[in-house]
Amino acid sequence: MAASERSGRNVYLGSYPITPATEILQEIAKHKQFQAIAMQMEDEIAGVVSSLGASFAGALAVTSTSGPGLSLKSEAIGLAVMTELPIVVINVQRGGPSTGLPTKSEQSDLMQALYGRNGEGPAVVMAANSSSDCFYSAYEASKVAMEHMVPVILLTDGSIANGSEVFKIPKVADLPEINPPIVEANDSNYAPYKRDAEKLSRAWALPGTPGLRHRLGGLEKEDITGNVSHDPLNHQKMSYLREEKVERVANYIPDLEIEGDEDGDVLVVSWGGTYGVMLTAIEELRAEGKKVSLAHFRYIKPMPKNTAEVFSKFKKIIVCEINLGQFVNVLRMTFPQFTYRQYNKIQGLPFMVNELKDQFNALINE
Amino acid sequence: MNSTMESKIQTQPIKLSKEDFESDQMVKWCPGCGDHAILRSVEAVFPIVGEKLNLKKEDFVVVSGIGCSSRFPYYMNTYGIHGIHGRAAALATGIKITNPKLNVWMISGDGDSMAIGGNHFIHVARRNVDITYLMFNNRIYGLTKGQYSPTTFKGQKTKTSPQGVFEQPFNPGELVIGSRGKFFARVVDTNPKLMQKVFIEAAMYRGASIVEILANCVIFNNKIHSDITGRDTKADNQLILEAGKPMIFGKENNKGIVLDGTRLKVVTIGQDGITENDILVHDPTTEDAGIHMMLASMMTPEFPVALGVIRATPFQTMDDAVWNAVEHEKEVSPYKNVDDLLNSGNTWEID
Repeated sequence: MAASERSGRNVYLGSYPITPATEILQEIAKHKQFQAIAMQMEDEIAGVVSSLGASFAGALAVTSTSGPGLSLKSEAIGLAVMTELPIVVINVQRGGPSTGLPTKSEQSDLMQALYGRNGEGPAVVMAANSSSDCFYSAYEASKVAMEHMVPVILLTDGSIANGSEVFKIPKVADLPEINPPIVEANDSNYAPYKRDAEKLSRAWALPGTPGLRHRLGGLEKEDITGNVSHDPLNHQKMSYLREEKVERVANYIPDLEIEGDEDGDVLVVSWGGTYGVMLTAIEELRAEGKKVSLAHFRYIKPMPKNTAEVFSKFKKIIVCEINLGQFVNVLRMTFPQFTYRQYNKIQGLPFMVNELKDQFNALINE
Repeated sequence: MNSTMESKIQTQPIKLSKEDFESDQMVKWCPGCGDHAILRSVEAVFPIVGEKLNLKKEDFVVVSGIGCSSRFPYYMNTYGIHGIHGRAAALATGIKITNPKLNVWMISGDGDSMAIGGNHFIHVARRNVDITYLMFNNRIYGLTKGQYSPTTFKGQKTKTSPQGVFEQPFNPGELVIGSRGKFFARVVDTNPKLMQKVFIEAAMYRGASIVEILANCVIFNNKIHSDITGRDTKADNQLILEAGKPMIFGKENNKGIVLDGTRLKVVTIGQDGITENDILVHDPTTEDAGIHMMLASMMTPEFPVALGVIRATPFQTMDDAVWNAVEHEKEVSPYKNVDDLLNSGNTWEID
């Protein structure tokens, strides 16, 4: 809603009740005074698809869900990729697969968020650090989605969704500006798939605006004109453009920060909702004089541009996740020049500081 | 722009023509497909609807799912979005709720609406979102080349029913009314005059106006509606309903529908003492769906098929309900902006 205030776009949340994401729907439903509309739809698919319709019509479009719901939304997120309309998909991860452990927390939807679509379907994937960071992450996700005209999947998890912490209240006016690329009426330069030179985003032409009638849809479109196209070379070009557009978001996000020294023996890597416990473990070890640092990711696609540089300054890297090792495999694929250890836990429980310290101590003493 | 010019532009009545909505894209339906006639009727109707509702051509949005019919948005020069299979009703809902000033048309087929989109179909009817929903019913999957759909007749042989369809078909009108839908009409692709008249009524109705169009698939289900649309049989097999008019039909214009106990019955005026006064008079606006349901259910050979507006009952639209609530909350809410909200509840200051 803060992003709505800063962007001038009304919030539209199309959703369906699912543990542990239902509170988002319940909360937005309370705030019609900000012209924020929460539509409880008939299923997960209708939730995301109605949001995409809202996005076409000019809303800050959001849908909220948890793992099984994200599976159901896959095809529609593909439509968002193809139509290049902004949408924020919030996935509050829970234990899976299937109904799994609905009330327990896990980080096991990362691969689904990154790759769970037919065809080449790039989307921005980011993850909130903590309960209070959910506010900032949702704000950034809205900003990225609208300014880059791209679907953004924001991963949180049951732990931070059900958790609470002290939150320093920001002033909305101090938050970064949001400038959606909305086209003015009768802009004779407008073409549906003409792109911004820097971001590669197309422009947002809202129905009702004189002089900008156009058709979007799931069929492949010709570059610039947006006419339906089955041309082989055009498809290749558009596939690269959609991927490159997401990669260029890296030019607009913060660098990867390091907690502790910028070089040393052991770098601990983590992402999303484990930040608090990771930080405590590292701080305690450092207080004991150990040379260990932490690099915690909020942006996973694209990753911060300094990622490889950060990794290169450590002898050993260990990646900790509440899953069987999803992010570590993304890292192995993206930066194969480094060797990664992994520590995984998949019990529906969060990491404990002591178990992490034991792991890191063992690695330090190796 | 100075203020005189501005006011001049605003007060000029909007004159739209069919050409305003014609697309330059090549229409890829088969020659002889019923969809061509529907497209021409919609192109003809948009300027009339635009004039009646004082809309500019940019206020029209055409939304569709997947299937032959769903290529429609590409063939209209409007804002449009071609969605994913079965989900157009959800797209249309999001668009209309976000911007109620838009005139939203939804195009779908019997596979798109009755099978994969069945859930969205009943809910868009129940919610009464103000859209005009055209469902092309050719009783077959045409784009995938000839598999039976949820409206294919029991026993019909198709590529996926070599022994004949085992299932009974849906009747879309029954589904609309069963979902507490407030508007249902039925037309045939061979009668452009009726199509245009009904499309205008559907567009003018405030709510989810669902129109079933019996459309011919010339390749995979040719003449499936021929008993209803055939030159020799149509007079006896079509009952064209008009509000306030008796339900009379037939070659001799002497057949009619009466209520016999709790059922409808076909009678002949002049036989068994039946006069025109005994014939039911059509009232599409009544909330009671009983007669509407029976009319929607009528099938040949026992009955004629009911065409025209079967049901059009006034009811609050979802978009009105939502935006009325927005206006109300703006008045009563203690939060005038997001800062107010963030600073509400359990907060404290630290030095």
